[in-house]
Amino acid sequence: MTEPKIKLNTEWLSVCGGCHVALVDLHEKIVDVMKVIEIQRSPLLTDEKGFPPAQIGLITGSVRTDHDREVALKMRESCDKIIAFGTCAVYGGIPGAALAHTAEDILDKVYLHNPSTDSSKGVVPNRLVPKMDAKITPLDEVIDVDLYLPGCPPHAAFIFDALMSLVKGRDPRAKEESICAKCNRVMKKSEVAEIKSVMDGMPDEDTCFLSQGYICLGSVTLNRCAAPCPQNGVVCTGCAGPMPQILTEPNRDIRTELAARMAALTKIQPMDVVDEIEKSAKSYYAYAMASGMVRNKPTFFIEKWIEQVEKV
Amino acid sequence: MARTITIDPVTRIEGHAKVLIDLADDNSVESAKMIINELRGFERILVGMEAAQMPLITARICGVCPSAHHLASVKALENAFGVTPPPAAQLQRELLYMGHFIHSHAVSLFALAGPDLIFGITGERKKRDIAAVVEAMPEVATKALRLRTLGQKLNELIGGRGVHPVTAVIGGMAVKMNDKKLSEAKAMADEAMGLYNELAPTVKELLGKMLEEMPTLAVGGFSLPSSYMGTIKDGKVNFYDGELRIVNPDGGQVAQFDVTKYTDYIVERPVDYSYTKPVFLKQPVGDNDLYRVSVLARLNLTDQMETPGAQAHLNEYKEKYGPTCHLTIMQLWTRLIELQYACEKAVAICDDVALMGEARVPAQVKAGRGVGHVEAPRGTLIHDYEIDDKGIVRQANLLVATQQNYEAINRSIEQVVELLGVDDESLLDGVEFAIRLYDPCLSCSTHAVGQMPISIQVQKNGKPVRHIGRRL
Repeated sequence: MTEPKIKLNTEWLSVCGGCHVALVDLHEKIVDVMKVIEIQRSPLLTDEKGFPPAQIGLITGSVRTDHDREVALKMRESCDKIIAFGTCAVYGGIPGAALAHTAEDILDKVYLHNPSTDSSKGVVPNRLVPKMDAKITPLDEVIDVDLYLPGCPPHAAFIFDALMSLVKGRDPRAKEESICAKCNRVMKKSEVAEIKSVMDGMPDEDTCFLSQGYICLGSVTLNRCAAPCPQNGVVCTGCAGPMPQILTEPNRDIRTELAARMAALTKIQPMDVVDEIEKSAKSYYAYAMASGMVRNKPTFFIEKWIEQVEKV
Repeated sequence: MARTITIDPVTRIEGHAKVLIDLADDNSVESAKMIINELRGFERILVGMEAAQMPLITARICGVCPSAHHLASVKALENAFGVTPPPAAQLQRELLYMGHFIHSHAVSLFALAGPDLIFGITGERKKRDIAAVVEAMPEVATKALRLRTLGQKLNELIGGRGVHPVTAVIGGMAVKMNDKKLSEAKAMADEAMGLYNELAPTVKELLGKMLEEMPTLAVGGFSLPSSYMGTIKDGKVNFYDGELRIVNPDGGQVAQFDVTKYTDYIVERPVDYSYTKPVFLKQPVGDNDLYRVSVLARLNLTDQMETPGAQAHLNEYKEKYGPTCHLTIMQLWTRLIELQYACEKAVAICDDVALMGEARVPAQVKAGRGVGHVEAPRGTLIHDYEIDDKGIVRQANLLVATQQNYEAINRSIEQVVELLGVDDESLLDGVEFAIRLYDPCLSCSTHAVGQMPISIQVQKNGKPVRHIGRRL
C-alpha cells in the first residue's frame, strides 16, 4: 500500500512571483517531490481557491494589504506547518525599502510627479482599491512561522531540502554558512587602497572581490543560493539577507563586519567602507531592512542616511 | 436597473486582479474594469539607490519576466553613460533572452492558456489547471514542460540564475562565453527547437477546434481595432533592440522612433479605480488613442521575421488573417510564431562565432538621463533613470507591458461579456480567458503582484447584482 501524499498549499502575498517560478524550477526534481507531495492549492498552478487543510503551507511575499493579512491567517489556520518562503516573506525583500518613505510620498512620485504621466487632473487611485500601506511587514510579524527559507529566490537544492525535511519530519540539512562557503574565489592580502565601484575596471575572475576592493556582501550573507553571483563575475548584493549572527546580535551590522574584513585584506580604511555603505544604504540594506531584526538595531539609521544622499 | 458583476480573483494569470462589470438598464455592458489592488512604488524606492545596482534590483519587480527588467535596466544605464557593449555581449544577452522567451511563451501557451485550449472556456469547473492538462494530454504536457525547463535553463546558463539573472553589467556581460557553456547552450537550443516542432501542430489544432466551437471568437464581436507598438530592427521584429514603431489600425506606420523619445508618443493617464496607470497614444489616430503591445502587436508591425521557419509561419498566419489582425484570440497563434522564432534564433546565436568574443568594455558614471527598453514577452518594457554625478538614481520611471494593454484588456472583457451574456455559467471562465490572452503580468503593471485570483462583480446603478468569486 502506498502512503498517502503530504498535501501542500501555497499562497503568494505581496511578491514578484519569482518564488513560485523557482518552485517550478525544481525542474527534474519536481518528479521526486510529486511522489510524496500533492500540490493541493497554488495560485499559479491550480484553480483551487479555498483553503483545504494541508500538512504544509508555503507562503511567498510580504504582508502589505488587509487582503495579504487575511490570506496569511487563513493559511496558518489550514496548514500544520508554515514555510516563509523567499526573502520577502522572511525579511520583507526589496519592496521593504519602502520603509524609508510614506505612502503619500510614494503615491506622489508614481501618479503626480512622473515624466510620462499626465497628472493635470491630479488623479490618484482612491476608489475601489484597498488603501495602500507604505510599510512592508515580514510574515512572522503576522503569523507564526515554522520554517524560514530566505533567498531571492532560494536555490532549488534548498527548496528540495526544506520540503523533504517537513515531509520526513527531520531538521533541514541547510547550514548557517555564508556565500563564501560556496564561492571559489580566493581571499588574499592586497595593496588595494581604494574602494571600487562595480563599474571600475574588470575584476579578476579568481580573486575574492573584497581583496580587489569591491564591496561584495557574500561574507555577511546567508547561503541559500549556492553563490551564483560571485561565480559569474558579479558581487553578492545580499539577496538572501544577513547571516543570523548579524541579525540576532544588536551591535553587529553588515557595514562594520565588512569594513573589518576589507581592512584586513586590503589597505582600505574601515571607515571608508562604512561611509560607502551608508551612502548607498538603500541598496545595501534593501532586502532585509523591513525586518525588525534590522530596522530596530540601535545602529541602523536608514532615514538619516537616505536624507543625506537625497538632499541636493 | 443597471447592475454590476465582479470576478475576484482571476486565476492562471500572473498577479492580483478583480473585475467589475457595470450593466445598463437593458443588461448591455456599460463598462468593465480590471482592478489592480496593489502598488509597490518602485519609482520611489529606486530613488537614492546606486545606479549600477539597478539591473539586479529592478529584476525583482517581476519574477515572471525578471530577464526583461534586467536587460532594459542595463540598457538604460548604458544609454546614460554612453557605453556600447561589444558584439559578444549583445549576443550573450540575446541568447539569455531567447531562453527567457521560450520559458515564458511555453508557460503562457501550455500551462496558463492550455486548459482553455484543451477544455474550451465552457468546460466543467475545477478541472482547469496544469494537472488537468497533464491528465488529458500527458505526452504534450511532458514535452511542453520540458520546453519550458530548457528555456529557463538556457536563461540561467547565461544569466547566472534563472529567476533574477545577474550577469548583464554596464558595458557588457560579467563573464566571457566558454566552450563548455556553448556546448550546453547548443544542446538546449537544439532540443527546444525539436520540441517546438513536435508541439506546434497540436497547438494549432486545438486553436482551430476552439474557433470551430466558438466561431464568434474569430469574428467581429471579439475583434478590437487599435493601434500597435513594438520594436523593429532592420524592418524585422526584434525582442532585444531596435526602434519603436507604432502602426495605426489600418496597419499604416504612425511613427518610428528611438526609445529615448517615448514621452513624445505615449502617455500614462492615472485612473482612480486601479493602481495600474493605463497608457495611451499621445496623438490619437482619429479619435482612437488605444494601442496594444505584445505578441499580436509585434506581428502587426511588419511582415518580416529574422528566421526562416518563423517567416514561413508568419506568412501562413497573415495569409489567413491579413496583414493587420485585430482578433484578440490570435495572441495565441502569434505567441506560437514567436516561440518558434525564439528557438530558431537561440540555435542561430549558438552557431555565431562572434558569441565567443570579449564581453565587456569599461564604463564610467556620467550624470544625466538614460532610457532603455526591450520587448518583454508580454510587450514593450521601458526603464528611464536620472542619475547624478555620484552614480545615484535621482528619478526612476518604469513603463511596463501590461499597463499599456490595460485599457485593451478592459475592452476585451466587455466584449466577452457581451458575447456570453452576464448570466451565463461560463462568464467567469470567459472573462478570465479574455484577460489571459494578453498574458498579463500584474506584478509588473503596478510593479506589484499579489493574487491572481479574480472576482467578478456585476452591478447596476452601483448596486451589486451578481458576484462570481472564488472564496478565500
